[in-house]
Amino acid sequence: MRKLSLLLSSLLLGWTLACGGGSNTPSSTPLIPAKGLVYTDPTGTGWRLVKDASSTGTRIVLNLVGPSGLKTRGAGFNLQAPTTVRFGKFVTDDRVTTGLPILDTGVYSLLNHDPRDLGHEPIPNDPLEPRLLAGGVKKGNLLTVGIFQKDRYQSAKESGQALCRIALEFDPAVGLNAGDKLGLVITKSGYLAEDIGELTVHPTLEKTEKGRLVPMPIAVGTLSAN
Amino acid sequence: MRRPLPHPVSALVLALALGSGSLVAAPAPQLDRATLAVHRAQQPQRIIQAQAHFASLRAQFGLGEGDAFVARHAFTNPEGEAIVRLEQTHDGHRVWGGQAVAHVLPEGGIRTITTSVRTSVALQGEPQLSGDRALRIALAHLAPKGPMKDAPQVERVVFPAQFLGGLASKLDGTGRPVLDRSMSVTAKLDAPYVWAYEVRTRLHNREDGTKELTYLIDGNTGKILRIQDMVQHLEPAQGSGTGFYRGAVTLNTTLANDGTYLLMDTTRGTRTNQFVSGYQADPSATGWSPDIPALQVWFHQNDSDGNYTWMDGLFQTPVGVTTWGDGLPFTAWGQEGGINGQTVGVDAMSAMTTTWDFYKNIFGRDGMDGQGTAVAANVLNNFASPSWDSRDNASWSTWGQYIDLGAGSYPANPKGFQSMADLDVIAHEMTHGVTNPSQSHYWVNSAGYEEAGLNEAVSDFFAQMVKAYSTRTPGEDSVIPDTDGADWQIGKNVGHGTPLRWLDKPSLDERSVDGWFDGIKYMDGHFSAGPLNRAFYFLANGASSTPGSASYSPYLPGGMTGIGNDAAARIIYKAITEFLVGDGTGTITFQRVREACEQAAWYKGYYSEGTPAVRNAFAAANIGDAHNQTTPRTQVRFADFRHDDYIESTHFSDYSTRQVFPKGETVVPRITVLNNSNTAVTWSLGGPSMFNGADQNISKGGVINADGSWTTPNVMAWHSITATSQADPKQFAEGRVFLIGMDTDMDGEVDALDMAGVSVSWYLWGALNPAHSVFEAPLVDDDDVAFFVDAMKSTWPVK
Ligand SMILES: [Zn+2]
Repeated sequence: MRKLSLLLSSLLLGWTLACGGGSNTPSSTPLIPAKGLVYTDPTGTGWRLVKDASSTGTRIVLNLVGPSGLKTRGAGFNLQAPTTVRFGKFVTDDRVTTGLPILDTGVYSLLNHDPRDLGHEPIPNDPLEPRLLAGGVKKGNLLTVGIFQKDRYQSAKESGQALCRIALEFDPAVGLNAGDKLGLVITKSGYLAEDIGELTVHPTLEKTEKGRLVPMPIAVGTLSAN
Repeated sequence: MRRPLPHPVSALVLALALGSGSLVAAPAPQLDRATLAVHRAQQPQRIIQAQAHFASLRAQFGLGEGDAFVARHAFTNPEGEAIVRLEQTHDGHRVWGGQAVAHVLPEGGIRTITTSVRTSVALQGEPQLSGDRALRIALAHLAPKGPMKDAPQVERVVFPAQFLGGLASKLDGTGRPVLDRSMSVTAKLDAPYVWAYEVRTRLHNREDGTKELTYLIDGNTGKILRIQDMVQHLEPAQGSGTGFYRGAVTLNTTLANDGTYLLMDTTRGTRTNQFVSGYQADPSATGWSPDIPALQVWFHQNDSDGNYTWMDGLFQTPVGVTTWGDGLPFTAWGQEGGINGQTVGVDAMSAMTTTWDFYKNIFGRDGMDGQGTAVAANVLNNFASPSWDSRDNASWSTWGQYIDLGAGSYPANPKGFQSMADLDVIAHEMTHGVTNPSQSHYWVNSAGYEEAGLNEAVSDFFAQMVKAYSTRTPGEDSVIPDTDGADWQIGKNVGHGTPLRWLDKPSLDERSVDGWFDGIKYMDGHFSAGPLNRAFYFLANGASSTPGSASYSPYLPGGMTGIGNDAAARIIYKAITEFLVGDGTGTITFQRVREACEQAAWYKGYYSEGTPAVRNAFAAANIGDAHNQTTPRTQVRFADFRHDDYIESTHFSDYSTRQVFPKGETVVPRITVLNNSNTAVTWSLGGPSMFNGADQNISKGGVINADGSWTTPNVMAWHSITATSQADPKQFAEGRVFLIGMDTDMDGEVDALDMAGVSVSWYLWGALNPAHSVFEAPLVDDDDVAFFVDAMKSTWPVK
């Protein structure tokens, strides 16, 4: 995984140089101020960021999609973007998830009330129950997002579908030109596997080993201004 | 509707000063007894008037037919006004923290205080949980090991979301604030009002010690919304008879049926005391009964090793013996009721009667609650456990109207106290009964609220007044003299020469502060009381203009002249009983105390251009500007807590907890400098609330840069940073945060992938890795989930 990110970093460097070089060289096409963003999906059937239909010309919404047939209990990744593009947030109708840079697509089971009450009268669901869905934008425009099931008793979910969503937004203030490439680099990623050890409440060495995130590459398409 | 303040007190003050110009020149005269009696006789009609008046105001507060104001308490003040406290109800249920105060004037008008009116109360449906279920949830949290002192009380209420609890702290053995998870609340709410149950519990047994906790339980989700400790302590946790302190005194005692005497004064108190209601009547021998209203002194029955037996006794002399006590320090363990133990009883009874008479003769107040309820004391508490030490403490029980007094651990413990039954300690505790007279009428006393400092300062101040009163010229019972009886210290005697607190210069205790600052609420109330104690002292005694003098204040370098004990006490008493009526929400700030005192001073004839004493006394404690000050003071404040990148207060929360940050990461606080064009601040680590005994550096963690960006230390704990104005270095603000461990995969980077650790350890019987709990606790639960997500949101918000 580390190798992959290094590789992508070098690629990015190459693009940036090419781009910069291009703009310095007199060209037949004049520079046109960009009005939006365009994203081309990556190829392949592994983990990938795929454009969602809700995308617009200035806001690209990307779905995290996993390989078909792989069952997982959650995933997370860090995505580095140039400072010339903004990560967007999602407005939802609940106070718990609104304003986050990640949107739950409803595949993973995020809710499960306090098991101390199991066996007694159940407590009605709390609409504000804490969920393992969060993210932020760290220094240097590094997006970090994650979505995880809260209880090991909940079954793992099929990954070959949109597991969560992120968004990238065009910033008219930074002066991008049409055609500028905006390199996106996954710097860290992992999923929680289906097998996290036996379904008991006792911590064991086996559970400790199986409870670690499994690193995976995530293919990212190309983002550019237009 | 988050913080409805339709009629702030400041506006009220202004209205009085401007709208009634003629009154400024001639404040309401003190009425003679006969006129006052006429007004008292009209109190019942005036209560009805007050209720009707608030009913007519409902629309203005967005309230409707289902909303009402029910009178709960009333008295007639020396100016002949009926002061009526009303509780707000919605569909017949109390609105928690909702109340109104009406001053029905003799000439017919009504002045209102509406800061605590909760506006636009609306709820959907009925609560899904029963009161019984709420009770069981509260008891599951309380987890009593022994029997309840008496049956818990459950009341269905409307709970305003703005009063949702938050993180709580307590002081560890070294005096350092640590997170108190058992008193912390992590629930969130997304409606301004919810149905809830208030569950009031009381424990007093060998296994649990003494606890009085009140819970607010969400009526739909069963979540704990707020936990309130109802016991008021003197000192934060660490911990013709002859009295030891009082010497020879005369006492009112009671001749029992069997010829013995009881340390019980039936001449004071007309309503029975709740604390003694749990004890069985003794009709066959003494005739004692809990139904007899009387001041009375009980003792903790210890064994010969000094271990509390969880039995208590009423002091009693043998048949025909009318002398009490031997005047010696207590040593007779196991014989607490004997002549040596009686010495403590004599001290207590003498102090209780002095305090009772002080309030009666000076303010016409009938008992602590103003309704004649008798007060009890229970002395020689020698209970000590690793988590709680009662020996060097004293407390007031709002529910029981009783004082619990420690036996003192001195001289076995050279740093401990002697018997806690001294006059200023008892007057301090009984004053808590004046300011906290009922379960719905009290001031919050926990760290996190400026109001806690008010609570303690008022008790400290009136303890001084009671001491001054106790040295009055015999017969001059209606004036508080300016004698040395008030030494402006608390606990000099119990501390065998070293006071617990100084009112004239609170910082002498090396814990308290002398001036207000943004963030003072994080301090324990006994220490945040400093600025108010100082303001009260200045008001009575004046401030010096000589730097270096104990009564010099850099906030008022020119000094001021005091107005004397009696005038100061009357102003403060009027302010606390008529304008600062407690509603249990903790929202009273020091600025509001100043405004209330200014208003009270006007009544008493001290509010005019010639007597700016109140303004200057508060200004000298950095609470507002001095009289005639033309340029307002510079103020430093942490940014509005509703922004994304702030360091937030625990309370008045906007439904969420945002004062949680990751340890070992860089966060960016934001600061506001008011009233100065030079907004530059100097950043530093730590803050006044983070006192840590000898080692001042433990709490000064991490690295802070000139721009305020702060790389937090790698320690899970409370930490503070301070921003000091460069233009006026006397002005600063402290921001406090709780740092949690979030790097669950221990790769040196906190990110959203770390949530996986929380996920896999959630509710195992022990985390797979200690790093999976943000609290480094054995169990990972929803608190970890909530804190992890909140800290991510507040540290790296998406713009
Ligand atoms: Zn106190």
